[in-house]
Amino acid sequence: MQTLRVVCYLNQFFGQLGGEDKAGVGPQVMPGAVGAARAVQQALGEAGTVVATVLCGDNYVAEHPDTAVAELLQLVAAQHPDLVVAGPAFLAGRYGVACGALCAGVQTQLTVPAVTGMHAENPGVELYRRQVYIVPTGAEATRMLDEVRRLVSLGLKLARREPLGSPTDEGYFPRGLTHNTLVDDNAAQRATAMLLAKLAGQQIVSEVPLPDFPQIPAPPPIKELRHTTIALVTDGGFVPQGNPDRIEALAATRYGAYNIQGQQQLDPGQYDNVHRGYDTTYVKQDPHRLLPVDVAREFEQQGTIGKLHETVYSTTGVATTLAHSARMGREIAAQLRAAGVDAVILTST
Amino acid sequence: MTPVAIMVGANRIVPAAGIIHPLGNAELSAEDEKTLRRQIVGKALQALQTEVVQPTVFGSDEWTTTKPGGEQAGT
Amino acid sequence: MRLELHWSQVETFTAGTTTRLVGKALNVNLDELRALLEADVRLQLVRLDLTAPGDSCRIGRVVDVLAPRAKVDGGEDFPGVLGQLRRAGSGRTRALTGVAVVVTDQQLENPGSLALIDMSGPAAALTAFAHTHNMVISAWPAPGVGRSEYLGAIRLAGLKAAVYLAQAAGDVEADAVEVFDLPAPMRVPVTLQHLPRVAYVFQIHSHQRPTGIDEGILYGDPVRRMLPTVVHPNEILDGAIVRGFMGRHATTYAIQNHPVVRALYAQHGHTLWFAGVVLTVAQATEPERVRSACLAAGLVAYVLGADGALFTKIGGGAPHVDMAQAAAQCEALGVKTTLIVEDMSTDGSQEGMLLFNFPGLDALVNVGSGQERVMLPAMESVIGADDMTPTLQSALQTSYGSICGAIEQVGASRLMALVQ
Repeated sequence: MQTLRVVCYLNQFFGQLGGEDKAGVGPQVMPGAVGAARAVQQALGEAGTVVATVLCGDNYVAEHPDTAVAELLQLVAAQHPDLVVAGPAFLAGRYGVACGALCAGVQTQLTVPAVTGMHAENPGVELYRRQVYIVPTGAEATRMLDEVRRLVSLGLKLARREPLGSPTDEGYFPRGLTHNTLVDDNAAQRATAMLLAKLAGQQIVSEVPLPDFPQIPAPPPIKELRHTTIALVTDGGFVPQGNPDRIEALAATRYGAYNIQGQQQLDPGQYDNVHRGYDTTYVKQDPHRLLPVDVAREFEQQGTIGKLHETVYSTTGVATTLAHSARMGREIAAQLRAAGVDAVILTST
Repeated sequence: MTPVAIMVGANRIVPAAGIIHPLGNAELSAEDEKTLRRQIVGKALQALQTEVVQPTVFGSDEWTTTKPGGEQAGT
Repeated sequence: MRLELHWSQVETFTAGTTTRLVGKALNVNLDELRALLEADVRLQLVRLDLTAPGDSCRIGRVVDVLAPRAKVDGGEDFPGVLGQLRRAGSGRTRALTGVAVVVTDQQLENPGSLALIDMSGPAAALTAFAHTHNMVISAWPAPGVGRSEYLGAIRLAGLKAAVYLAQAAGDVEADAVEVFDLPAPMRVPVTLQHLPRVAYVFQIHSHQRPTGIDEGILYGDPVRRMLPTVVHPNEILDGAIVRGFMGRHATTYAIQNHPVVRALYAQHGHTLWFAGVVLTVAQATEPERVRSACLAAGLVAYVLGADGALFTKIGGGAPHVDMAQAAAQCEALGVKTTLIVEDMSTDGSQEGMLLFNFPGLDALVNVGSGQERVMLPAMESVIGADDMTPTLQSALQTSYGSICGAIEQVGASRLMALVQ
């Protein structure tokens, strides 16, 4: 069997350039297997050679979303690889997203097989599992050699264009694609067996994966609106001019808290919008189309509501991962609760 | 995006006036737009005072369960 | 109620001078049957074609498939639609294996929504109808006959043909007799009272399209605004319910051989007690849905006293949610549910499979994706679709949902959408 040319992708840390202080370094390439890529070479054995290791700082990729991957693809392409192995990224969010983006680009633009690995909660999984084969790993590099072995094993199959089995058999995150298959028993027989198992309290495997959204018990209704403090929140990308909190335009991991104390309304000149998921012309013209401060003030002054909370919260709700959304929601809720807020009106685009 | 709100588990949902201007409408006069905004926010305040047990849409008479357009979704 | 199905196996089906079953050979006087069907003033011409498993033949413009059945000893066939109103589900019924009646629609101008059956090739493995000798009915409307009238006429033709073929068995001794004997739900012998009680909630129609006056579905009733009701499972196996004029991924054949009823009967007295069947229709508005779900759950939990319930649906997206609402109400009353759903995704993605998310609805079986595309090879002959012959004779790409019998919402089919 022909020895495959493999290119590895690593971030600044796993490429041994440095820690967070080096997170801003730009794309670069080193010959052979550098840093954690040596584990990939070890796992490859005779089957392949890591001809180069491409490196980039995680912040560079995150802050140059349009150009970083293109630059990296050029470096990768120059090596004429048969396979690209990125990461593993474990739980490092920006690294995982970078690995996913690079692998997706390698597949579509260079038509070269690619594989990466990361922890289930890495936002890179949610963003890229549908396009890229991602191997599940632990949260940290403690069992890296083992995990790299699994990564390489799947990579070799892809490079050799061998047919892949199911996600459970081969060990990758389900890509969320459905495919009709003929099975032995008809649906009625399978349903009867499943119901009997459910009645017996046994574990069942649903043939349709359940949505990831657990039921949220509804908080009891407000009894006295005129004594209630209401806060305004939005995921429409509302930010003060200059976006001081650097809320991301896509896949946000940050939110902002902005003071509106004493303000009767929002002055469009002081605010901006970073959301990439819709045409923000109208909400920039008039931010009340997202955060109804003017109307809420009226309700406050009329005595309909007790108080309009002095802080508004905002983030960007486009390609925001479930994980980050839930975390930000929890954090905002905790702050609101601590400030005595009773209810929230959340405007979503 | 109401179905998404329902799927995600938001319990009190008020349909707004569109993605690009949820609480407004650039085609209306400033006066009318503010009235619209008051209406929607008013509905939200109503929703906050209403008992619900599961994702509930306020202010819509139609249950949007089928996907927009297409024979397949509607049949 | 006790029902006996007297089965005769058919291995060859030929046109001849006398209609009768000899051994496993079915001989049919097609001219006699054709004349019988043409007597309907709504039809001006009826053509009957035969095709056998393995033929390089594609049947087009398929709208329904029926199984040959005929009551013996004075029972009524398809009461309320063909026969007089009489309770179905008891006595003796003749049935044939290996034969099916395929009804085609010759009136619909745009036949894109109609189905096809391949008697050989890759599609044959997907459907029961590639393994039956099929008698294909092509009937043309008499001048001035409207849509609803025509559909009523061709369905009646299919039912008459189904009875006619089963009657061919005459007095020939059955090859096999199946007995379906189920007492009323409360009459459980002491020794079997420990068994979990299981009900089946059968959604028989969807009001996304209102039924025509003559579009009988339940004992000939067009089930307009039908509130949930209870029937004995034998009634379903014995012609009380036929498919309406529309019914995505559903055939009358599948109802006549109802797989859920059969599966529950197979386990009855062993691993479960079959507590009965609740019939529902999928409602068009939310208030009606809520009412229907409430009544259905009440029947399941408090009248049938079920511990568990199995659900199927008919139609598209709204019925899918309607079924889920009824099931969610059952779960809220402590009844464990399992639902048979169709993969609703339009883009092959996992997220699009389901249109609902209710607590407790964690046991889902799927009958595959009707949207997924598949390539089918060329066939030598085409039946039932003269105007589409050139297209249907060639290799073509179509959806799994277009292959009649490949996806049956009542659970008769074996295709499953696997998530990868």
